[in-house]
Amino acid sequence: MKTPVSMLTMSDVTKVYRVKDSLLGGAGRDVVALDRFSMTINAGEIYGLVGESGSGKTTVSRLIVGLEPADGGDIRFDGTKVMGLKGRRRKNFTKQVQVIFQDPYQSLNTHFSIFETVCEPLVIHGIGDRQFRRARVCEILDTTGLTPPETYLNRYPHQLSGGQRQRVAIARAMVLEPRFLIADEPTSMLDALISFQIFRLLNHLRESFGVAILFITHSLAAARNLCDRVGVLYRGQLVEQGTAEETIMNPLHPYTKALLDAHPRFGSSRQKAYGVLRETERPIPDVDHCPFYPRCNPAMDNICNESTPTLKYLDSGRKVSCFLF
Amino acid sequence: MTQPFSTTQATKDAFGGGTERHVPYWIERFLDGWAIYRKNVIGRIGVVLLCLFALMAAVSYIPQWVNPIYNPMTGVDPQISYSTGPSFRHWLGTDNIGRDLFSQLLAGARVAFIVGITSALISILFGTTIGMVAGYYGKRTDLILMRFADMVMVMPTLLVVLILSALFGQLNIWVIVVMIALFRWPGVARVIRSQTMSLRHRPFVEAAIVAGASRFRILFRHILPNVMPLALLYMTFRVTSAIIIEAALAFLGFGDPGTVSWGMMLQWVWKTGHMFQAPYWLLPPGICISLITMAFYMTGRAMDDVLDPRLREEEIKR
Ligand SMILES: Nc1ncnc2c1ncn2[C@@H]1O[C@H](COP(=O)(O)OP(=O)(O)O)[C@@H](O)[C@H]1O
Ligand SMILES: [Mg+2]
Repeated sequence: MKTPVSMLTMSDVTKVYRVKDSLLGGAGRDVVALDRFSMTINAGEIYGLVGESGSGKTTVSRLIVGLEPADGGDIRFDGTKVMGLKGRRRKNFTKQVQVIFQDPYQSLNTHFSIFETVCEPLVIHGIGDRQFRRARVCEILDTTGLTPPETYLNRYPHQLSGGQRQRVAIARAMVLEPRFLIADEPTSMLDALISFQIFRLLNHLRESFGVAILFITHSLAAARNLCDRVGVLYRGQLVEQGTAEETIMNPLHPYTKALLDAHPRFGSSRQKAYGVLRETERPIPDVDHCPFYPRCNPAMDNICNESTPTLKYLDSGRKVSCFLF
Repeated sequence: MTQPFSTTQATKDAFGGGTERHVPYWIERFLDGWAIYRKNVIGRIGVVLLCLFALMAAVSYIPQWVNPIYNPMTGVDPQISYSTGPSFRHWLGTDNIGRDLFSQLLAGARVAFIVGITSALISILFGTTIGMVAGYYGKRTDLILMRFADMVMVMPTLLVVLILSALFGQLNIWVIVVMIALFRWPGVARVIRSQTMSLRHRPFVEAAIVAGASRFRILFRHILPNVMPLALLYMTFRVTSAIIIEAALAFLGFGDPGTVSWGMMLQWVWKTGHMFQAPYWLLPPGICISLITMAFYMTGRAMDDVLDPRLREEEIKR
């Protein structure tokens, strides 16, 4: 196996949203969406970012592509800072990093035909002439499974099903052959069979184009299917990271275990559930504490409620953020 | 989730080969909208009235072409030197120097359309651009543009135009049109701004940003088509106010003496002292002004009913 080449690194990235409570509330409330979050994605791999909804997964993708500024930390792509890129350098960056959004009913402009939609990145970056663009769009539609491509060119999004729309979104993201693709819960609006096909397509894209994929999901089953490595996100913190197989077959962090318990399909292959989740939550301590402490059964009093754990590197190459290890 | 594509879903699977043409989305939306609009009685009345006025404007060239004495401005019936009532020769009668009132009324329809629509178009153009820029850029740009809009909004249009024409003498009709437009954009800008602010964070706009699209491209290719229906709706209301302002100016004696508008006709009745002697002269332009503004207003209200559930539906989907 080749030694992995890191492509995207996020180190100690923090993001705080300021929410205005009401007109009279004044100060408002801070929501910490990401708390000193670190992650590295290697060239050509599929990295699964797993976490329940609200854990900050979408925030990670928005920060990478610059839709939102970070409040702290550093994000680098190929060694260059991506935050605050401007002009030509930003354009060059957008050529290499693309996103597939969660909701294919919202991410396509209803006024654009499929051809216009998929062709837009080519137009923006001034690539090719009319003829080339048409051929390229057909080619990529074909790759994403919209065949025969000619029949789709002049259609509009509302004439397609959800799965077809998501394929259009993927074609649009892939038309420039980016090196890094972010897929933010690309199948959460689609039914199971279509989701499965989309997973296969993503895998196919990785194999034929060598594109690295950040695959964001709330489902460990999907992550295991598709990913080389997974990271588990809890309340804006990375709590565990390792190969997909190991992390799911032999989870370390109690939160990962809780996620697996929540999965009926996985429960059947094991004799008993991990049972790490408390029935009644503990009161939230006033001082620094492990973010999972209130819900964690095996948590140790006087340790877990008195300081925040940091990521530990285990011998097996895994990382976990828990005092139990 | 119920999606409007369910009808095309069935045909989709049976879809054969070849490059078949599909109608652009906006045409389909327009036809959908028209289907809803047609059910609205007020809207139907409005459209019928507008068609009648458009017909008047279209045939306004015919009388003078039949006989030069019917020219609304310069044609004078040599046999008549005082205001006469309706007759076979002059369907609505003549004014005090023997000009044909019916051909003046027709010409007035033409002027009303030109004044109303051009000035509405210009104010929509300004309002939409400024609203989109303010809504998209936000922050300081938004603050400055909206303060400026507020300042323009509180100025009484009629009064300012009156003062200006008192200063510069008789104004050309196009100057009047542009001035009305320059005072009537802030309302449009406000509406388009708030619509733009809600579109700015929609995934399809963010997808374009991620693809590297310029701000210009995002504003004019992605946001503009989505605010267009709203801009068109506001245009009907702007037409109404432009026609009223022009008529008021003309009646007060600040119109363009070279045009025959309904306001000018009223001004002539008044100035020549026929206000209470010649109802055949006074009533037609008065009624026409009321009807045409009402017609545009009714059309706008009916369009509002078409757009409103759509806007609401889009809010929910967000
Ligand atoms: N624009 C925003 N303003 C305020 N809070 C936000 C905003 N976007 C996300 N958040 C908050 O940040 C947290 C993480 O959100 P998100 O990244 O969308 O989570 P996920 O994608 O894992 O569901 C949530 O608590 C959410 O409420
Ligand atoms: Mg999300």
